[in-house]
Amino acid sequence: MAIVEFQNVSRVYRNGDHEQRALDHVNLSLEEGKFIVILGPSGAGKSTLLNMLGGLDSPTEGTIIVNGKDISTLTPNELAEYRAASVGFVFQSYNLIPTLTVIENVALVKEIAPNPLSSHDMLKAVGLEDHIHQFPSELSGGEQQRVSIARALAKNPHILLCDEPTGALDSETGVMVLKLLLSMARDMGKTIIIVTHNQNIAKMADVIIRVKNGKIKSCEEQDHPLSVEEVDW
Amino acid sequence: MLLKKLFRTLWQYKAQFISMVIMVALGVGVFLGFNVEWYSLEVNTNEIYEATGFADFRIYSDKGFSPEDLEAVRAMDGVEDATRFLSLNVSVKDDTDTLALTISENMQVSGIMVMEGEPYNAEDPDGFWLSDSYAKANGIALGDQLTLTYQVISVTGTVKGLVKSSEYLICLPDTNQMMPDYSTYGFVYISPVMLDRAIPALYKALIGSLYHQINVRSSLDKPAFVEAADKALGTTRLILSKDETVSWSEAQGEVNEGKTMASILPVLFLAIAILTMVTTMHRICASEKTQIGTLKALGFKDRRILIHYSAYALIIGLLGTILGIGIGYGLGWFIMNPDGAMATYIDVPSWTLYAPAFSWFVIIGINAFLAFIGFLSVRKMLQGTAADALRPYSPKRMKHLRFEETRRFKQLGFGTKWNLRDCVRHKARSLMTLFGIIGCMVLLVGGLGMKDTMDAFLDVFYEKAINYTTRINLDEENTTPEEGKALAESLNGDWSASRAVQIGDKGYTLEIHSTLHDKVRFADTDMKIIPLDDSGVYLCSRIARDYHLKAGDELTFSPYDSNEHYTVPVAGVLDSMTEGIFMTNTFAEKAGIPYQVSSVYTDSAEIPDNPHILNRQSKQSIMDSFNVFMDLMNKMIWLLVIAAVILGIVVLYNLGVMSYTERYREMATLKVVGFRDSKIGRLLISQNLWLTVLGILIGIPAGIGVLQYLLTALASEYELKLVLGLPTWLISILLTFGVSLMVGLMVARKNRHIDMVAALKTAE
Repeated sequence: MAIVEFQNVSRVYRNGDHEQRALDHVNLSLEEGKFIVILGPSGAGKSTLLNMLGGLDSPTEGTIIVNGKDISTLTPNELAEYRAASVGFVFQSYNLIPTLTVIENVALVKEIAPNPLSSHDMLKAVGLEDHIHQFPSELSGGEQQRVSIARALAKNPHILLCDEPTGALDSETGVMVLKLLLSMARDMGKTIIIVTHNQNIAKMADVIIRVKNGKIKSCEEQDHPLSVEEVDW
Repeated sequence: MLLKKLFRTLWQYKAQFISMVIMVALGVGVFLGFNVEWYSLEVNTNEIYEATGFADFRIYSDKGFSPEDLEAVRAMDGVEDATRFLSLNVSVKDDTDTLALTISENMQVSGIMVMEGEPYNAEDPDGFWLSDSYAKANGIALGDQLTLTYQVISVTGTVKGLVKSSEYLICLPDTNQMMPDYSTYGFVYISPVMLDRAIPALYKALIGSLYHQINVRSSLDKPAFVEAADKALGTTRLILSKDETVSWSEAQGEVNEGKTMASILPVLFLAIAILTMVTTMHRICASEKTQIGTLKALGFKDRRILIHYSAYALIIGLLGTILGIGIGYGLGWFIMNPDGAMATYIDVPSWTLYAPAFSWFVIIGINAFLAFIGFLSVRKMLQGTAADALRPYSPKRMKHLRFEETRRFKQLGFGTKWNLRDCVRHKARSLMTLFGIIGCMVLLVGGLGMKDTMDAFLDVFYEKAINYTTRINLDEENTTPEEGKALAESLNGDWSASRAVQIGDKGYTLEIHSTLHDKVRFADTDMKIIPLDDSGVYLCSRIARDYHLKAGDELTFSPYDSNEHYTVPVAGVLDSMTEGIFMTNTFAEKAGIPYQVSSVYTDSAEIPDNPHILNRQSKQSIMDSFNVFMDLMNKMIWLLVIAAVILGIVVLYNLGVMSYTERYREMATLKVVGFRDSKIGRLLISQNLWLTVLGILIGIPAGIGVLQYLLTALASEYELKLVLGLPTWLISILLTFGVSLMVGLMVARKNRHIDMVAALKTAE
């Protein structure tokens, strides 16, 4: 069953007379519970695609349907509700609140998410149960990224959107984070969508989407994705 | 190229730039304004004191002084010059006005400045040199004829000169009046020749010398002068130094009040401006750190980068200073101009504005300091290698707070924790916000509290204490106590007698009152009206304080021109307009203190012509003189309220924008996670509101403290009791709260425009 559908979606940025078409009539359908990787060079439109899906931005034309609901026409407040209930974000630069401790960073989603999961359980799931009272600045990059994943999962979202989640990490830590994300798809049935430059990550994916010049160049399913250990990092 | 960058950086941080310029302008403006006010007053009054030979001492005698007395005084060591002097309140014929008819035999002492018309001529038989302010208020021009009357004597002449005199710098008919009213009272100088011609020979023979005063220019101090004068004249005289005259003490009081104001309010504004500059420059340099690093990496020398960024602070300082000089002179002009509030009080020939030299040094110092703040902020970012400088500024690492271990803290919501930790993490910013709110509150409580205090003072000492419609001043020399009392009785009124007395070597006024008809009332130290009983004397609280006296103690005083000493019990302490001693006539008679009736107080509308009546004064005219005073004060209060609101808005907006910029990423994160704009806005505003509540709680006692200090420093002569009405509490709190909320909303609205994607892509 398709959890995400892009129907003829375009996003045009205008700056004076200059017009930049970041997405150009994109059509896409993604299945639930898959580990999906979006690949493409810089400026191809992959982050725009992710932002549209996450309700951070709205299309100039076309329709985006997530879980049967059209999100392309939502008001800013409805989009906030959508983000609170349906999607979790993981960014390259973690984006934790520096003045909140690890547990508080995760627990803050309880203020807005309709069905939040236990913050302790989520931190345990990412292996940080011993660091819950530390501030983000007291953690390593990998640990901060795991907090960010725990926060995204604590909302109990249908989809987890990750924008270069290993971009700021060394390869060893990156592997650990990817392993964690993969287990979310395999064990918890979450739909994981990762935007990356890294071709190696694609080897783990159920679905690989290649983007170029704002268009979907290809969308291929892999019948036998590799495990994290099998990928040559 | 760097210059272009400088201007673009100014534009980029325009909110901070504009608010800093406003803060510096307010600081410099208020500092310069108050200093221009007192210094201009000092220079302009000194000019007339010098030009008209303002006397340093005045020797009084009921019997008058002979030419030999004058020579004896002139011969004293330390006396530069002296004159026999007459000042007598006379009536203007066909009018209810009163003029102080004045003669100085030697116009080098207690003389005049001719503003228009002929120079003074000591031989002129019919010339009036009339107060120009009185002439203006009454439409009198040069060449007009005037007739003045005093008892049976009248003198007619022509207005030959319009003048000013330092002796009448503050031209008041008596101590009951606070402000001059030139429409009803002024002064006029005539020549001794004119006086001589006007007075019948028989009268002269009867009363002896008309000159009841010798005015002296001398550099001696008062004790030395009194000792020398008593020796020279062979008897003890009432001698008042210039400090004890209204025209000197009140004008100097205004100068000192200006100095006090210049030492409080500008400090508040300048301190806030400098502290805001420290915080703002640090933040700007922190956010410019990668650019600073880039310039360094490109090969720009540290010195050039330091100059470049220090110039930013210098430009703020210079622009603020230019505006501030305008504001300062505007404020000075607002108080000190020929048609302004001060001119209704003090009658000087020139209202030129002067700034004391030190104020320019202070202003230059402020600018240098502001540039130095910029210099230090950039230097911090330039430290280390080019690679160090290139790294983005990293804020301080978070540490756990002591109170985080408490159960109560753990129960707090995330928003509260977020804001609490943010306040602690950005202490300087939080303290500045707090300081701005306290400043706003202090100005409001100070300004509005001053009005409440004055209103309460006027209500007690004028509305309630003056329980008569008309005060009639009697010609004491020609009125026996019985005649005075009979007049009071015929008008269903009370009467009072006034005598100059000494306690030790200091002069005070003794007032003896009949209280049968309750026409004059007295207030105790709680400003409650109380009746005087016949058990002793009542002291004003200044005398009680200076001599450590209270009810039940004894006081010894001696009337001038008398060797008698009276030791009397103290019955109570009063708050009073005049620095004096009060008693009932019953007690005065019991103690054997002789007196002349000097005033009658009545509600009677019909006051018959009576040869003992010197002049009349309505309660309304006394109250009217206060309206001028209150107008002046209300204007000052409006200025303070406006300054408070501007200060609050500028400081809070600047810091609010700073807080918003610093938390931009955090807010973007919250937005991405799914927080609504309104909820994020509430989080931002709630921090502002906490600081506002705290600022108000500190600002109230601070405001009361500043007000008490101002009352003591500015108006100790009035025994003012600090009063704060409910409206003042409400207006101060609500206005401060309103300003904070408004600025909070202005800043919170910005979060609608947070670019989540761009914000989150920025590297940590």
